[in-house]
Parts: sequence; C-alpha cells; structure tokens
Amino acid sequence: MGEHLDSMLSLRGLTRRFGGLTAVDAIDLDLAKGELISIIGPNGAGKTTLFNLVTGLDRPDAGTVRFEGQDITGLSPERLAAEGIARTFQLGRVFGNLSVMDNVLIGAHTRLRAVKPAVPVIGPLLELGLALLRPSSVKAEEERLREEVKAILARFGERLLPRIDQPAYSLSYANRRRVEIARALALKPRLLLLDEPTAGMNPTETAEMQALVAELKAKGLTILLIEHKLEMVMRLSDRVIVMDEGKKIAEGRGEEVRSDPKVIEAYLGHGLTGTAEQESAA
Amino acid sequence: MSSWLDYTINGLIVGNVYALVAVGLALIFGVSRLINFAQGSIYLVGAYIGWVAVVQLHTPLPLTIIVVAAAAALVGLIIERFGLRPLQNSVRIAPLLATIGISFVLDQLVMLTFSPNPRALPSQLPDVRFQLGGGTIGPLDLLIAGVGITSALLLFVFLRYSKLGWAVRAASQDRDAAMQMGVDVNRVNQAVFGIAAALGGVSGMLVGMYYNQIDTAMSLQATLKGVVAEVVGGAGNVPGAVIGSLLLGLVESYGVAVFGTSYRNLFAFLLLVVVLVLRPNGLFASARQAPPEPLTGTFIAPSRPVRIPRWALAVAAAGFAILPLFPVSFYVLQTLINAWLLGMLALSLTLVAGTIGQVSLGHAALLAIGAYTSALLSLALSVPVGLAVIGGGLMSAALGTLLISPSFRLRGHYVSIATLAIGEIVSLVILNWESVTRGPIGISGIPPLSLFGYDLISPSSVYWFSLAVIVVLALLQGRLLTSHLGRSFRAIRDDDIAARAYGLSLNRYKSLAFIFGGFAAGVSGGIAAHLYSYINHETFNTQQSILALTVVILGGLGNVVGAIVGSVALVGLPEVFRIAAEYRILIYGIVLLLLVRFRPQGLLGTI
Amino acid sequence: MSNIDRRTLVKGSLAAMMAGAAFSRAAFAQSSEPILLGVSGPLTGPNAQYGAQWKQGFDLALDEIHAAGGINGRKLAYQFEDSQSDPRQSVAIAQKFVSDPRIVMELGDFSSPASMAASPIYQRGGLVQFGFTNSHPDFTKGGDFMWSTSVSQADEQPLLASYAVKRLGLKKLAVLHLNTDWGRTSRDHFVKAAKEYGAEIAVTEGYIAEERDFRSTLVRVRDANPDGLILISYYSDGALIARQARQVGLKQTICAASSVYSPKFLELGGEAVEDVHLGTRYFPEDPRPEVKKFIAGFKAKYNGQEPDAFNAYSYDAMNMAAAVLKIGGIDRRTIRDAFAKVKDVSSVIFGQATFDVESRRVKGAMNAELVVRKGQFALWDGKPT
Ligand SMILES: Nc1ncnc2c1ncn2[C@@H]1O[C@H](COP(=O)(O)OP(=O)(O)OP(=O)(O)O)[C@@H](O)[C@H]1O
Ligand SMILES: [Mg+2]
Repeated sequence: MGEHLDSMLSLRGLTRRFGGLTAVDAIDLDLAKGELISIIGPNGAGKTTLFNLVTGLDRPDAGTVRFEGQDITGLSPERLAAEGIARTFQLGRVFGNLSVMDNVLIGAHTRLRAVKPAVPVIGPLLELGLALLRPSSVKAEEERLREEVKAILARFGERLLPRIDQPAYSLSYANRRRVEIARALALKPRLLLLDEPTAGMNPTETAEMQALVAELKAKGLTILLIEHKLEMVMRLSDRVIVMDEGKKIAEGRGEEVRSDPKVIEAYLGHGLTGTAEQESAA
Repeated sequence: MSSWLDYTINGLIVGNVYALVAVGLALIFGVSRLINFAQGSIYLVGAYIGWVAVVQLHTPLPLTIIVVAAAAALVGLIIERFGLRPLQNSVRIAPLLATIGISFVLDQLVMLTFSPNPRALPSQLPDVRFQLGGGTIGPLDLLIAGVGITSALLLFVFLRYSKLGWAVRAASQDRDAAMQMGVDVNRVNQAVFGIAAALGGVSGMLVGMYYNQIDTAMSLQATLKGVVAEVVGGAGNVPGAVIGSLLLGLVESYGVAVFGTSYRNLFAFLLLVVVLVLRPNGLFASARQAPPEPLTGTFIAPSRPVRIPRWALAVAAAGFAILPLFPVSFYVLQTLINAWLLGMLALSLTLVAGTIGQVSLGHAALLAIGAYTSALLSLALSVPVGLAVIGGGLMSAALGTLLISPSFRLRGHYVSIATLAIGEIVSLVILNWESVTRGPIGISGIPPLSLFGYDLISPSSVYWFSLAVIVVLALLQGRLLTSHLGRSFRAIRDDDIAARAYGLSLNRYKSLAFIFGGFAAGVSGGIAAHLYSYINHETFNTQQSILALTVVILGGLGNVVGAIVGSVALVGLPEVFRIAAEYRILIYGIVLLLLVRFRPQGLLGTI
Repeated sequence: MSNIDRRTLVKGSLAAMMAGAAFSRAAFAQSSEPILLGVSGPLTGPNAQYGAQWKQGFDLALDEIHAAGGINGRKLAYQFEDSQSDPRQSVAIAQKFVSDPRIVMELGDFSSPASMAASPIYQRGGLVQFGFTNSHPDFTKGGDFMWSTSVSQADEQPLLASYAVKRLGLKKLAVLHLNTDWGRTSRDHFVKAAKEYGAEIAVTEGYIAEERDFRSTLVRVRDANPDGLILISYYSDGALIARQARQVGLKQTICAASSVYSPKFLELGGEAVEDVHLGTRYFPEDPRPEVKKFIAGFKAKYNGQEPDAFNAYSYDAMNMAAAVLKIGGIDRRTIRDAFAKVKDVSSVIFGQATFDVESRRVKGAMNAELVVRKGQFALWDGKPT
C-alpha cells in the first residue's frame, strides 16, 4: 500500500513491547481523510495499545506516527487533543463525579479561548484570574459551549438530555458510553478513535450507536474504530485491519478480510468468535 | 580512610533496623497496594509486649520472640478483619486513612496502658562485643540483620514456591482475576497481615532491646523510615525493601559524615523524593510502565453533596459575624479563631486533596512557609503586617507549588508519600537554615496583626479579621469551583488519563490548584505567626497536616462549606471534651475510622 | 520543646510574709473556695510524660502547703488544661484562663512555641504567665506578666563548663546537643563559657529529638579527637548517646547537663552511663533541708519513686506560686507585683529563690557536681574516673 497524499494518519513500523511481549509489532497503517477503518482482532491482539500509541498515552519503542503530515510520535496526549485527535476508551472512562454536562464540556476544553489566553509563561495565571473574575467574554464562551453540548446530547435523543445534571456514575453502562462519545464530539475532532463503542450494549442500543457512527462518517469525520461486532464492522468500514499478537495479519475490504484463512485461524486459535463481549482483560 | 569504613558499617547497621519495618510494609503493599501506616504501631505494640514478657514474666528469649510474634500477629489479624476488610470495595483513599486512624488508636492505647515514659527493655543476649572497623558490634546487631535478611529470604521463597505464596502473588497482580481463579483473597490478606504484623512486632522488640529503650514516639519514626525505605526499594518488592533500607541507612550515615548530624533526615527524605521523581516505581522496578487501562479510579466516594441554600450560609455567616457583639467569652472567640485558621488550611487541602485529588500529607509546610515569610517580612523589612500576610500567602503559593511540583507526575498513595516527605524537608530546612530562619531558636517578637495602621489586638478584632479572610477565601474558592477550572480539577481527580486525552495538562492544573490552595494556607500561617508572636520549626508540624486531612474528610472532599464545618467541629469538639483530655487522640482516631467506614463521603458529601 | 527549669520551695521568708500579711488577710478572708491556678501543659501528645511529671510535683507541693495551713487559711488548687504543647491549643487555653475570674495566675506551658504563643494573651489580659520550664531567652521578654523560674542557661551552662574544664580538666570538647531552642541556647552559652575557661571546642553536633541512632555522629566526634563529650540532652537521648559512645569505642569522659538527672537515665543507660558526670541543682544525699523534705515527701507519696528534674521544677513552681499568693493576694495585678517582692523562697533548685526584677528570672541556681557510681548518682569525690 502506497503513501496516500491526503493521508490523515499514517503509522510506520509502530512497535511497543512490554517485557518479553510485543503488544504492537511493526504496524503500518494509512488512514485517509474521511475514511473509516476498523481494527479487529482477538483479545490481547494489541488494538487498544495501538490506540494508546496514536493518542500519546503510551510511547512506542519504535516507529513513527504522522498526523496530517506532521510527525507526532511521542507527543503528549494533551498536545494531540489540541491537534484534534479524540478518543473513547474501551472500558469507559467518564468522570464519575461530574455531571453529564460537565463531562461533555471537558471534551470542549481544548477549544476554550477567552478564558485561556495564549500568553506565554503567565498564561496559566491569567487563566486563574479570568476564571475567578469571569468577564463577559468568558461568560459568553461558556454559555455558547453549554448550548453546543445540549445540541450534541440531542443526538442521543432522550437518552442523555433529561439526565444532563446527573453525575455520570449514576448513569447506565450504555449511557456512560454515550457520554464518552458526546465528550469526544465536543472536541470537534478531526480524527476520532472509538475503542469498542458498543461493548456492553444490547442489540437496539448497538443499532443506535451504529447509526450514529454512520452519521458521523457521512459528515466526513475520519474514524478509527475498534469493534468486535463484525456485522457493524462490515457495514461501516471502508477498510478493515486485522491484528493478532501485535501484528497486522490482514488488511482490506470487509468481505475479503472476513474470508481470509489467516484471520479465521487467528480467531479460532484463540477460541474466540469475535462477536462475544470481551470485557475482562484489557 | 578508616572513618569511611565506620560510616559504612554504621549505615548498614541502622539500615538493618529500618529493614525490619520495611519488609513488613512491602509485603502488605505487595498484596493490598496499601501503604500501611499502622505498621509502626504494631512495632510499638510488639516492643511493649516484649517489655511485659521480659521484665514482668521473665521469659527466655526464644519464648519472648514467640509470644511477641503471636500477639502482634493477632493484632494484625484484627486490623485486617475489622479495620481493612470492610473497606475492600470502597474508594482507594479509604484504607490509607484507615491505617492512619488505626495507628492513632494503637499508639494511644499503648500510651494509656503504659504511660508515655520511656522504659528500658534489657537485651536477653550475652553482652559480648566484636571489634569491627573502629567500633564494635554486638549479638543484637547480628540477630537484627539475621531476622531482616532471613525473613526477606523466607518471604521471597514463600512467595515464589508455596501454594499460598502463589495465591498472594496472583492476588497482588490482579485481585479480580485471582478471585475468579478460586484464590481466597481474604485468606491471603489475612495470612499477609498476620505475617507482616508478627514481623513488625518482633522488630519493635528487637529494636527496643538494641537501644535498651522503648517509648510511644517510636511508632511514627519507624513508620516514616520504613515507608521511605520501602518506596525507595520499590513498593511491594520484598528484597527491594531490604536493599532500600540499607541504602537509606548509608545515605543518612554519609550525610552525617559530610554535613553533620542535623542534616540526617533531610537526606533521608531527599532520597525519597529523588527516587520518586526519577523512578516512581522504586529503584528495582522497570522505569517505564504505562498503567494498564482499568485504573479508572474510584478515588473518592461517589456521592451527592448536601445542598445548603445560599440564604442559610449567609445567615450562618452573619450569625458568626455578630457573635462578638454578644457577651461570649474570649475563650469561645479564640477557639473560633483557631477554627477559622484551621479552616483556611482545610480550604486549601480540600482543593488539592478533594477537588484535584492530590492527597497531601505535608500540608503544614505551606503554613510554615507563609508564617516565616510574613514574620520575616514584617520584622526584617518592616513591611506592614497586612501586606506581610499577603506576602506570606503569595510565597506559600509560589514556593509550595514549586516544591510539590516533582510529585505532580505521581499517582495515588505515592502523592501522599511524596508530600509527606516534602513537608518534612521544609521543616528540616527551616531548622537548618539558621541565617534566615534562626533555626531552632525560632522567631520571636513578631508584631501583632494590624490593618491600615491599626493594631488588631482584642480577641474580637482578630476574630473579625480571620472570619473576614476565611469568608473571602471560601467565596473565591466557591467561585473557582463553578468555573471551568473547577470542572477541570475534578476531571483530573476522577480520571487523569481521560483528562489528559482531552487536553488537560496535569502540570498546569495541579500547579494552579496548589497556587490557589497555597495562598490560602500561607495566609493562615501568616496570621498565625502574628497571632502567636513566636514561631519555630515545630509550630507547624505533621500533626497539623493530619488534622487538616481529617477535617477535609469529615466535611467532604472538595466541599468548601464542609471544610469550614469540619474545622469548627474538630477544633470545637476537643474543647468541649476537655475533661476527657487523655482520651482525645484515641477518640479522634476512632472517629476517623468510623467515618472512613460508614460515611466516606464526609458529612456534607464530596463535590 | 523547651525546657529546663527550676523552681522553688514555699516557705517564703518570714520578712516577705509579714510585709504582705495585712493586705492578704483581708483579701483571703471572704471565701472558702480554693484559690485557683491555671496550668497549661501537655497531658497527651509527644510531650505527655512531662505533664504527668508536673502533676506529681504540684500535688506533693499542694499537700505540704495545705498541711501548713494553705494560703493564709485558704486552700490552693489548680486546673490543668491539656495543650498537647501545641500553640493553637495553648492560646485558646490562655483566653479561657484570662476570661475565667477564678484563675489568679497561670503556670506553663511546656514548650517554647506553645508558651510564647500564649504570652501576648496573658500580657494583654493581665494574668501572670509563670513559665517554670521556659528557658527560651525571649520568654520573659513577652511582657511584665511573664515570670520564670526556669534556670537561665546563661547561669547553668557556665557551671557545667566549669565542672568539665576546670574541675575535670578537659581541654578539648565535643558538644552534642538537642537541636531545639533550649539545646541551641544552652550550647551557645556552654561553648562561650568553656572557651573562656580555656578549653577548645572540637566539634558540636545538633540532633533532633526523635533521633535514636548516634553511631555516625559519634564517628564524627571520634575523628575530632576530643578528650571529653558534653551532652546537652534529656535523659532518654543522653542514655542512648552514652550507650552508643561506648559501643563505638569512645572512652572519653562524658559530662552531661542537669536535664539528664533522672532515675530513668540510669535505667536506660545501664552500664554505659557509669562514670558520667553531670551538674545538677540537687541530689539525693543533698544535706539541704528543702531537698531532704522534697525527696522524702516524694518517695512517700509515690511508692518510693525517685523524683527527677521535672518533678522538682513543678514542685518548686507550686511552692513559689503559693509564696507569691501569700503576699500578692488574689488580685492579678498585685500578684504580678508580688513576684518582684518575694524574697528567698525556699527552693530545691535555687536554695533560696528571689526574682531578678529586671529579667524576671531567678538567678543563682544551686549547683552540685555528681557522677554516676555503681549505678547511682553520687556527689563527685574529686577523683578522676
Ligand atoms: N501496561 C501494560 N503492561 C504490560 N502489558 C500490557 C500493558 N498493556 C497491555 N498489555 C498487554 O499487551 C497485550 C495487548 O493488549 P491490548 O489491550 O492492546 O489488547 P486488545 O487488542 O485491545 O485486546 P481486547 O480485545 O481484549 O481489548 C495484552 O497481552 C496485554 O496484556
Ligand atoms: Mg482493547
């Protein structure tokens, strides 16, 4: 596969080892703008670790990550969030004691301007001062973001809006996953990484989620998706990448990959079907 | 030079002594991921049981050891069963606080039973000395080394090769998985606490014999040094704990050699901070380890804070404001002044521990920085007192944040350990930096509070002044909490990884929290300095830090109103119960335990 | 923590009593309630043992005072408030005492931070703060309501220096001191006096109160090659240092400040404190009648227990308080003025205690040169050890 000129994200030889285990082994990947690629693979294949490497939560032992042509290997997650990379977490990491509104507002953190003047050195102190004084510009910005959050939450119908002031720990599992996605959307991402967004959801909820992802894709968002539910993967993906024991063992359109003997073997070899819920080991 | 040999030998000898505590701590940490602050208390209990056995029952040494080990193990089992097991599924901070509460209770029970006077605990070994370097060592040195190294080896072998040891390791790696695989985690915990406590008890007894002296102060010292050694060696790593202890002993000994005795503990705590910063998992752990994903923290108890209507708060504030107009005694006013001063510290701590989740055990250091700055500004530079107090607040904000910043990259209990160490370092620097702080002599003749040229001398005026300051600080903090910063702080507390993934820089926001909190604490220290007119390095001690933490937990983590209510309660109640003077700390420890167990979110709830 | 101080026995001189008698009788006649003193000191916390020792001394003195007819017929009592030696609590206690009209005088606190934090309140409230363990040189500078029978280290240390240098003939000294306000002040006075007497100070080492291990410190001491070790210590750390000094092979003469004077020093130090020299204010075989009475009374009251320095300070303090009240009455101001008037109050520590009005302290502590012989404190016979 050649280097895409309009490639949004490109990984080359990305590798991460934990002691003797190579969790991510020389992965190459190119994701074009507006494309949706799914990553599948049995438990422990290294999918989440790959996400961690892309989003800066972990550093690779070798290889590079380029985002819109820039080398972003090893940059901090804060920086990458500011660059427009948003992700959700496999096990759901909402801020338990924050309300739904506040959770999603955190997603918009990188977009705060009025309260976070880009002044070097004393910037943080100004931020503290502005937060306490709250001039009208700051108030207006906060107001605007709150309206925006309501609009984002409205995408989930009546699931979240009535609970907007409830703390996240009181939500159902599926609703917490939704809050995570809403939070990611509030960042106005250019690249969205979803780690098993439908884990723990029933078929109806899964269908809703699938529709939402399809809608995001239709709007032109570039998405990297980890998903075990193959049906959803087939429907949504432009391409599918299969990982096993850290390596990319197959890549291509959904149907091609599905019938690839290596893929079948990888799944069978691990005694897993790929559609089961896998929540235990992370 | 032969002296270096002696310093080395002496370092190893005292390192031996530290190892006895550190091994027990490491064992417990290995299984429960818990730094057991009660380990020193078990050590104390062991020493006193040893005293009863030797001095009153005249038991021979082997029997003494068995008696002490059995009794201490029993104490350990009780702690595990009734103090910690009920907290298994509660928030991460709960067991840490519980061990602090347990240590209060045990120390106090020992003190009440045996009186605080030191006692001699004669060694039961023959008094022969062997020449080693320029000094001598005795059989107890060998026995202590033997017990330390043998127990570390035995534990190592036990963990590696026995079935229960396998279960212990499994439980320490992944408690849930171990449970699924049929490991009885409770039994494992019991075994571990029993073994660690037996070891702790025997250590206390041996060390008591070594110095021919036991007293109730040995508990805290043992815990402190043990924790330092353990963390240096790599928490949970039993052989590492032994090596960490020897290293600590050597660093202290060489520190004494080069700089003099009064720098000794400074080196111990600096070693800890350096290790924590450079190798947070200890010297013998791999340097870089991303935390596995399911660290999603229930750091604090989920709760809905009690909402107190604004008018009620306004009425309460007004009520307190007009209090001096009624014929209340100065004693009541002074007690409330103390509550306001503690309240300012609690506001600071509830922000950093509650709102942003950095449980600081060294918060009194911020008081000290504020107090010394304000005192010196007004004395040496004749800055007006009102400004000097603000200067104290600013200095505490700046210097405090700078000092604490190395710990920003740490998580969970390590933050507490690092802040504890930083608190000790500040106090030791004050002790040793004589040209500025006047060392142990302290600063006297600090002018009284004054504002715009008017001295605030009467209790009512001091009362009004400190009430006004705390109300302003509380309002500001309330405003901060409702801003995007409050949201960001709480997000970092709830899940720092997710927070980073959304662009929140931990350094930036932790700094801002410490700057804001440091100011409040510094102002409190500054006011105290002018109120007392004399301060020295002991005025703001660890006890203050622990008291403030208890206030914060009582009131509810992050809860501004809770911090003030908690301060009034914890300053007021002991005054009310003065009659029960001897039992105050005991009661205080029990309250802490009950609170952690039954209302971990505090009276007014976490925000 | 502060410390060391001393006190006086109550039989104030007859002259002083006469002077105040007329006035006092009138004041005392009205009530059968005891006259109340406030005591602020540690009953819990790290210094709890000292509070307990105070109580023993107070209670013994009160027994004797009451047996001798009380304060012009009235009983004397004290209200002990636990401060934990914490300035936060001692200031609250100070307000409590100041605003309690029954309290006529305050005794304590134990540590300098706790005592001196409360001083402004006592000074403004016009209640005497009688600090009997407050050796901090600035304590009595807090105001004219601050009085102290703590032996000034400016007095005590030259006595120790004279014992070490002139009497024992030590020429090159290593000084180990507690690194507290008391230890530092003492060290400075000692060093100054010892140099005046012609000795050389080879090394000084300050250590914190919680320290248990002194082996490395003692290597420093050994390398400085002194011919004597001076311990400015309390009994517990003093005993530890002596033991470890012998373990690391230091055989030099040890000479300690009076604060180690306690049966506990012998118990904790064992054989290692044999031949340790110390200057004290009194000793068991002291022929002075006030000392004999104190020791006999103490042993009788407390099951044969030997009194130590802190027992003596508090015993003296209560007796001094009684002497002051006898001429000062129960008015807080006249009590303050009475401190300047009491003369030659019989005292274990001072023999006869009279305040120096200028410094509000008592000068001229008694001095005895003791040595530990066969596990007992004994008057030094002048023989080298
Ligand atoms: N911090 C870590 N330290 C050590 N090993 C790790 C760490 N994180 C992940 N691993 C290991 O790396 C391998 C890949 O894990 P990863 O979570 O990336 O798999 P995954 O493909 O996301 O699996 P799942 O489908 O279960 O989510 C696993 O064997 C895992 O145990
Ligand atoms: Mg995964």
